[in-house]
Amino acid sequence: MSWLDGVRHRLHTLVRPGAYARELDEEMAHHLELDAMQQGSEARAKRRFGSRAFHKEETRRMTWLASFDVLRQDLSYAWRSLARSPGHTALVVATLALGIGVNASVFVVLDRLYVRPPAGVAHPEELRRFWITHYTSREAPETWEGMSHPQYRALVGAAADPSSLTLYTTDWSERLGHAGDAPKVRAVYATASYFRVLGVRPALGRFFVPDEDVIGRPTPVAVISHRFWRRVFGGDTTVLGRTIALGRREYTVIGVAARGFGGLDLQEADVWIPLAAQPPATWWTADRGSWFENPNTVAYLAIQRVRAEATDASFEQRATAAIRAVNLRLARRNPDTLATVARGPIIAALGPGKPGAELVISTRLAAVALIVLVIAFANTTNLLLARANRRRREIAVRIALGISRWRLARLLLTETVLLAFVAAVVALLAAAWGGSLLRSLLFPEIEWYRSTIDVRIAWFALGVALSAGLLSGIVIAIQVSRPDLTIALKTGEREGGSARSALRAGLVAAQAALSVALLVGALLFVVSLRNVESLDIGFNRHELLVAHVSFAEGEDPSDEVFDQGLQRVAARFEDRPGVKGVARASLPPMRGFAFTTFYVGADSSDSFGKVMPSYTAVSPSFFRTAGLEVRRGRGFSDSVSAQASHEMLVNETMAKLVWRGADPIGQCVRFRDRESSCFRVVGIVEDARRFNVIEDTPAPQYYVPLGIAELGSGFAGTLLVRADPGTQRAVTRELATALRAEFPSATPDIELMTDVLEPEYRPWRLGATLFSGLGILALLVAAIGIYSNVWYAVAQRTREFGIRMALGARIADVLRLVVGQSLRVVVIGIAGGLLLVLLGGGLIASLLFGIGPRDPRTMLVVSGSLLAVSVLAAFFPAWRAARVDPTIALRAD
Amino acid sequence: MTPRERKSELLPGTLDMLVLKTLSVAPLHGYAIAQHIERLSREVLSVEQGSLYPALERLQRAGYITSKWGTSPTGRRARYYTITASGRRQLGQEISRFDSVALAIARVLGREARD
Repeated sequence: MSWLDGVRHRLHTLVRPGAYARELDEEMAHHLELDAMQQGSEARAKRRFGSRAFHKEETRRMTWLASFDVLRQDLSYAWRSLARSPGHTALVVATLALGIGVNASVFVVLDRLYVRPPAGVAHPEELRRFWITHYTSREAPETWEGMSHPQYRALVGAAADPSSLTLYTTDWSERLGHAGDAPKVRAVYATASYFRVLGVRPALGRFFVPDEDVIGRPTPVAVISHRFWRRVFGGDTTVLGRTIALGRREYTVIGVAARGFGGLDLQEADVWIPLAAQPPATWWTADRGSWFENPNTVAYLAIQRVRAEATDASFEQRATAAIRAVNLRLARRNPDTLATVARGPIIAALGPGKPGAELVISTRLAAVALIVLVIAFANTTNLLLARANRRRREIAVRIALGISRWRLARLLLTETVLLAFVAAVVALLAAAWGGSLLRSLLFPEIEWYRSTIDVRIAWFALGVALSAGLLSGIVIAIQVSRPDLTIALKTGEREGGSARSALRAGLVAAQAALSVALLVGALLFVVSLRNVESLDIGFNRHELLVAHVSFAEGEDPSDEVFDQGLQRVAARFEDRPGVKGVARASLPPMRGFAFTTFYVGADSSDSFGKVMPSYTAVSPSFFRTAGLEVRRGRGFSDSVSAQASHEMLVNETMAKLVWRGADPIGQCVRFRDRESSCFRVVGIVEDARRFNVIEDTPAPQYYVPLGIAELGSGFAGTLLVRADPGTQRAVTRELATALRAEFPSATPDIELMTDVLEPEYRPWRLGATLFSGLGILALLVAAIGIYSNVWYAVAQRTREFGIRMALGARIADVLRLVVGQSLRVVVIGIAGGLLLVLLGGGLIASLLFGIGPRDPRTMLVVSGSLLAVSVLAAFFPAWRAARVDPTIALRAD
Repeated sequence: MTPRERKSELLPGTLDMLVLKTLSVAPLHGYAIAQHIERLSREVLSVEQGSLYPALERLQRAGYITSKWGTSPTGRRARYYTITASGRRQLGQEISRFDSVALAIARVLGREARD
């Protein structure tokens, strides 16, 4: 390979320039020596050879070293010129690094969500997820990924190649063993075809086979992830055949999955278990049918591998038909016969489902990050331009001495690119931190195993930095490399043409405009968060501890035994200091509710329109404990008599809905049928949320005493304790101990209601935090921009101010002049920003609550604050200008 | 830059061809190459000898020749140049190009061999 010889040679000259020069020297000396001998005269030999220096230089010019020399010169020039003003350089680097760092951080998240397929999967582009559009809700149809097992079986039946499909479900709440503080284990329950469809190989042992995944008689085996194997078993190869316990269930380890494979979800899985071996459904499913027959357990995700040579276009139609048939067969009422099946890519975020709040926020965040970058870029350009202006005389001298325009432009470009490069390195360090911060903010429940920084992020940061550096370098080079020589030489660093100051003013205005847009967005999010947080959900979420207890399979006691146990525990906490109330309820507030048919006079529960009233069975202390005020009438007298005399309470919405203005108190409600015994309404309680923090219309709800046999879900399942914030931690601990003592085979689970609801508040908090964080950064950058712009403008006009002062201008006059001029630019910017808000506001409308995207008060507040910041930023340099001593100013250059 | 007096201007690219031709016989060091060209051309084509070195660098860069340090017959350390396979191909191309140019010049000057 001769060209390789050539490349090797070039590299040699480049890598060892010293050795190369020495060799050439030696070679030429040898030549001359031999020729001197031949010619008999050293002088003749030298003449014949020509200028040694010239030929050496010519030879060197042939190598890559030549272009390297120039680059080195440029670099050292750039470095020296940057080092001369370290403050300025640091400011530029910091601004640019901020812009790039924010973008790299967002890139870390977006890359994971939208670009990278799950690791360790063969040919991920062939894999498909399934989305079903449901028409069950009476409002808009909803598209999501989950399906029930009967629906999956219909899907398999409709597929041309059933072996191309697999089904799995995840359980991220499992624990290794059943101790209260056992480490979490992320389990995936999957069909035997899972690993084959995904094209994953075992690193050790084998995967489970269809015989081990038979519904009804599953084999308790487990495949563990490579990471889990290393973490828990220390990579011990004798792990096969050992057992691991998830809760109280034990599984035999039969294999270790290939290194790097962690399942298909953002959260990496630790353990895979045959789908048939999954534990029976837990407490929240009201109807306790088996998981594989229950049409309401829609927690299963189907995956299909679609090979290019066997695309089955009509599959989606057949699958849709099959699933509608299943819905028709299994649904007890209102079967969803409009449901449609669609396939989508393995990267779930790209699928047809409605994106979650995290996804929406992260894409909006990308736009915001881009705006921050543009602001940072404008600011950098401005700072560099101001500096280049200060060097106009130096540049003019260089041009006069014959530097080519190209070389001059290259010098300036090298400087900005060098700056950008340094900024990229700083930004990358920032992104290592920012990316993981963002990840944990957006997805706090996910434990990330992979580091944020990888080659792609580095390329991304470098690419963004270099393009920003080149772009601003080009702008500056164009601006600076064509000065009018004579003027520049004479005037030195004073501002030359007005075109240049117009460009700088334009950049400041652009920064102001974008800052306004960002700050308006940020403020809207903060207001939205406040609106959501101050929503009255009825319950006292900051004080309410919600406890329930889960039992191992087959060990759960009867409802009566369980209720008696709960009563004993409850009694022990009633008088504890700091506890304001203890109550029992059939279902946890806002996490479970039940329906049943009831009759009021001629009406039945179905005749009240769209929203069905739901019920909760509660102990008499429930209302006081949960913080629900009884508005009229009274609460339950006491458990026994309330049950015996069939008392019930309704909330205000239900009172209006059912009795339409008549007084509900004393009215009769019958369950089961029109002849059954009468329940008397004894009180009206304030409205409370039924399921979500944000519900468009209040839900009709009613409360019955515990232990009513007519109702399907009438027994206590949840213990509620209202405790002072200061004692909550201690109460939680004591409650767990008490519950474990009462039910030795159980695992208690106690959470503050605020924490239970946190996922619903989190997107709002997230939006407010992230957007105001970036908004403040942008404001800071813009303020620096205005400050430095005024500062340079003032520095250039020192003599002018001196003259003005000498002619009798007062300090206030100069101040007014300088501040006024910079404010004019800012005001134009603010106007532009408001225009941006008016045009682009719709983009964030879906992320706001209780406030419109074009809220005039918010716009006013932001404009006012930006104006105030600008006045401040302009004032200090202006003050300096106004205090200048005329004699010094007039003598100044 | 002072104008340089040259004994005889070579046609552009000719030096490269001559070096390749010289090396196609045997690996040689720089001085030997210069001597060889000078002797065979009866000193007509002798250029400034120093300009051999940029040419050698150019040829190495293109991968037509490679170099290695060795010991000369006089016992001195010297860099020996060897032609590569692609160098030989290049030589063939340059010779045929030169032939056609030489022929064309001969025609223009009316010296084409008539037989």
